[in-house]
Amino acid sequence: MKHRIQKKMYHVEILPPKQDTEKLEADLELFAEKYNRVMESVYCASITDNAMGNLAFQGTEIIEELGLEVNPEQVMIHLNTFHTKQDLHNILDICKSRGIKYLLIISGDGSDRLPRLQPSDVQVKGVVESVTSVELLKYIKDEYPDTFVLGAAFNPYEPPEHEFEKLQRKLKAGASFIITQPIIKKNDIVDELLEKYPDVPVIIEAWMSKKIHLLSDAVGYEIPEDTQFDPIETLKMLHKIYPACGVYLSLLGFKTQYHLIKETWI
Amino acid sequence: MKIVVCIKQVPATSEAKIDPETKRIVREGLKAIMNPFDIYAVEEGIQLRDKFGGEVIVLSMGPEKALLSLREAISLGADRAILLSDKAFGGSDTWATSYTLAKAIDKIGDVDLVICGKQAIDGDTAQVGPGIAAHLDWVQATYVMRVEDADSKSIKVKRMHEDGYDICEMDFPAVITVLKDINIPRVPTLKGCLASLKIEIPVWTHADIGAAIEKIGLDGSPTRVVKTAPPPPRNIITQRIEGSPQDCARQLVRELRIRSIL
Amino acid sequence: MIISDRTDKSKYSNVWVVAELLSGKIQPVTHELLGAARSLAAMRSSQVWAVVMGSGIAEQTHSLFAFGADKVIVVDDIRLSGFIDEIEASIMVRLIEKYKPEILIGAATARGRALIPRIAVKTNCGLTADCTELGIDPENGDLLQTRPAFGGNIMATIRCSNHRPQMATVRPRVMKALEPDFSRSGEIIRENVQDSDALKIKRIVEIFHSDQATVNLGDAQIIIAGGRGVKGPAGFEILRKFAAEVGGAVGASRAAVDAGWIPYSYQVGQTGQTVQTKVYIACGISGQIQHLVGMQSCEVIIAIDKNPDTPMMQIADIAVVGDLFEVIPEIITNLASN
Ligand SMILES: Cc1cc2nc3c(=O)[nH]c(=O)nc-3n(C[C@H](O)[C@H](O)[C@H](O)COP(=O)(O)OP(=O)(O)OC[C@H]3O[C@@H](n4cnc5c(N)ncnc54)[C@H](O)[C@@H]3O)c2cc1C
Ligand SMILES: Cc1cc2nc3c(=O)[nH]c(=O)nc-3n(C[C@H](O)[C@H](O)[C@H](O)COP(=O)(O)OP(=O)(O)OC[C@H]3O[C@@H](n4cnc5c(N)ncnc54)[C@H](O)[C@@H]3O)c2cc1C
Repeated sequence: MKHRIQKKMYHVEILPPKQDTEKLEADLELFAEKYNRVMESVYCASITDNAMGNLAFQGTEIIEELGLEVNPEQVMIHLNTFHTKQDLHNILDICKSRGIKYLLIISGDGSDRLPRLQPSDVQVKGVVESVTSVELLKYIKDEYPDTFVLGAAFNPYEPPEHEFEKLQRKLKAGASFIITQPIIKKNDIVDELLEKYPDVPVIIEAWMSKKIHLLSDAVGYEIPEDTQFDPIETLKMLHKIYPACGVYLSLLGFKTQYHLIKETWI
Repeated sequence: MKIVVCIKQVPATSEAKIDPETKRIVREGLKAIMNPFDIYAVEEGIQLRDKFGGEVIVLSMGPEKALLSLREAISLGADRAILLSDKAFGGSDTWATSYTLAKAIDKIGDVDLVICGKQAIDGDTAQVGPGIAAHLDWVQATYVMRVEDADSKSIKVKRMHEDGYDICEMDFPAVITVLKDINIPRVPTLKGCLASLKIEIPVWTHADIGAAIEKIGLDGSPTRVVKTAPPPPRNIITQRIEGSPQDCARQLVRELRIRSIL
Repeated sequence: MIISDRTDKSKYSNVWVVAELLSGKIQPVTHELLGAARSLAAMRSSQVWAVVMGSGIAEQTHSLFAFGADKVIVVDDIRLSGFIDEIEASIMVRLIEKYKPEILIGAATARGRALIPRIAVKTNCGLTADCTELGIDPENGDLLQTRPAFGGNIMATIRCSNHRPQMATVRPRVMKALEPDFSRSGEIIRENVQDSDALKIKRIVEIFHSDQATVNLGDAQIIIAGGRGVKGPAGFEILRKFAAEVGGAVGASRAAVDAGWIPYSYQVGQTGQTVQTKVYIACGISGQIQHLVGMQSCEVIIAIDKNPDTPMMQIADIAVVGDLFEVIPEIITNLASN
């Protein structure tokens, strides 16, 4: 992971079409367009897994169905705990056979509609009542030894004591890099993270939408709807503050912003 | 086994936002989804078919956009779908809804088993399943938490009650309504979804199913909603209890008794 | 029955309550329904009748008079020992034709919600589910039935002007039972099961009663929910004890589920379940909006939190400021000693 950060390789978030879309074919085309553009720029396509609990198709099945090309260094698949065991293995097997090696393992957002891995599915015993990213990390590491490079999420807006304790367990379970929640300025908890784990590659999430108020939920305080926000300027600033970190671009506008990010990481 | 699964399209209240003024869910602009309980009904139908053979037909009464929910059921693995759509069905209460569905089931013919969700999350009555059974004069089992066994002639199910459960056996034809405990529904695959786009879904009107006009829609509905209103506002005068743990506990229990909660 | 004109309506009188039995015992909800029936009967100057179907139930009828019944129809038959919807519905249809009640109310329980809709369809009557309020229209004497729909976000008032009886179901703990008056008594009418009632029916193979009621979140009347403040699986054990003491179910915030302390099926909120119970007791849950949307329709909200200023403590009807690990064991002791 370190070398990819040194190479200034952005992680560009791509959301697969939602299951309830009324224009599936058009959405698939758009997905392919974005994916290929990220490949051409030699960035990494970071494909989400039912983000926000919204049912969407899996990156892996789209890659298969559309016959998209996979460069192992340029694809990251997000994988959460809301799957049946069979689906989980399907996804992992496709990743393995297509050479996809970067996986971001998260607990994820569920919904009524999504099955969740059960403790017995991932062979955990003892006090654990539900499967979180920690159990999933460990399971993948055990079942697919030396196959994947696994990452975990870090939320600087949660109570830090709890979050650091959880991170410790994620790293112990097999995570070797970290992606944070969106940050929009210098963040004390992220600083603490970098200090505590100087050897673990950290990728910070940059919020690329102008609608900064949408972040209210994530950061835990109210950001007024009319707040002015310049994502590109903020991105440049984040690079300055955190030169050693990689960057994950969420909600990047492919039409309006993509051409601008060529010059942001210098 | 010829199985009909009844599905209803409902507003997705789980995605709703809260109105900061009224503290209530804003219903405008909500997406339409398949009633969550009905997904379990579809899954159970598919599992039974896969085990015992036969076919799964999904049936919905509603506006044209309910086709989307029917397609979703197809993408999960149902064999075919039928939409009951007709201006004359509008305003149906549970009596008229279950009559209409029963007539369609009659028309489909030779049905062994009808599966419904336990209840719809909008109307919330849980009356349509037993209503269909009554119109058809079939046996019924509601609150089914597991199908224990089945063969070509009968089905054995576990029903949940407040004081435990029972296991009962019914000869076909029969109607069951299912709880969410019954299975873990699969998620549609991309392949399944692409295939469901190609399936023709017939739309039946009241004439197609031979439903008597005086028994359907608003006119056929014995109940009338005469008024809807937001629920009485929450009493937001918060009563605060502080002090030693013993005092807090004592005061809270007293308060629970005064409000006849205990 | 479809009623064509006024003279027809006048043939129907009295308020019926269909008794709810579990494990062969009349349940408290029946007494609550009798309480509601009494006030309706007073407004209609008519009587309250209860109908009890079961096996070996004769002794239990006395309490029905004490709680407000004027007459009790008893159908006592070995074939009614399990819950066979088809037989019970068929009996009820005959009794309704014979005695012509004006109003019929049943419990909105697993059984009531299976039985009453079957009766309603077979008698061509409307049925209003889960009523929270029953009244009489002073103008024409119709039953006005008020019920929540859309997960409690709307209250609908419903009437059935042209059909008799007017039917409604009511959830347990919604209506109030009257103080029992054991000196009251009344007429017992015995009716039988006829062979025609039992033509096409299910066969009950096994019955399991469990002492610990099978409450799930959706059907519970009280939910004790825990959040990050519960600190671990051991904390949820305390909540389970609390829940057992009040006959409730346990729920959780996403923070607790994500920490692996309790399975996802317990999660309340935007990405979990929406619940609408009589009482919701939030223990160590701060009350973020995603959690609130799942429980804000509960009737009484109680919060227990160290921090007096959380959103949950603001919207609660009762806010207990304290350490849940100290307060809840005291509550359990207090409840157990009473
Ligand atoms: C505010 C409000 C209150 C209402 N109250 C009442 C009432 O008290 N009594 C009454 O009779 N009606 C009532 N209605 C009307 C009732 O909602 C409709 O009749 C509705 O079509 C079916 O009832 P339900 O949503 O309660 O379904 P439920 O009976 O809860 O649904 C159970 C199952 O039946 C099947 N099903 C239900 N509807 C359909 C459908 N259209 N197509 C296919 N399958 C279906 C599904 O499998 C579903 O899971 C009310 C409507 C509103 C808006
Ligand atoms: C897309 C999305 C969907 C979400 N969906 C859901 C959902 O469905 N359900 C859900 O719950 N959340 C959901 N969330 C998460 C939600 O935003 C909150 O993070 C979560 O509800 C917080 O849980 P909590 O209240 O238990 O934890 P906290 O907010 O950390 O609250 C813990 C509380 O416990 C108190 N406490 C600590 N110790 C004690 C003690 N000893 N005694 C008494 N009190 C104590 C603290 O004072 C604090 O108030 C969602 C978030 C997102 C972004």
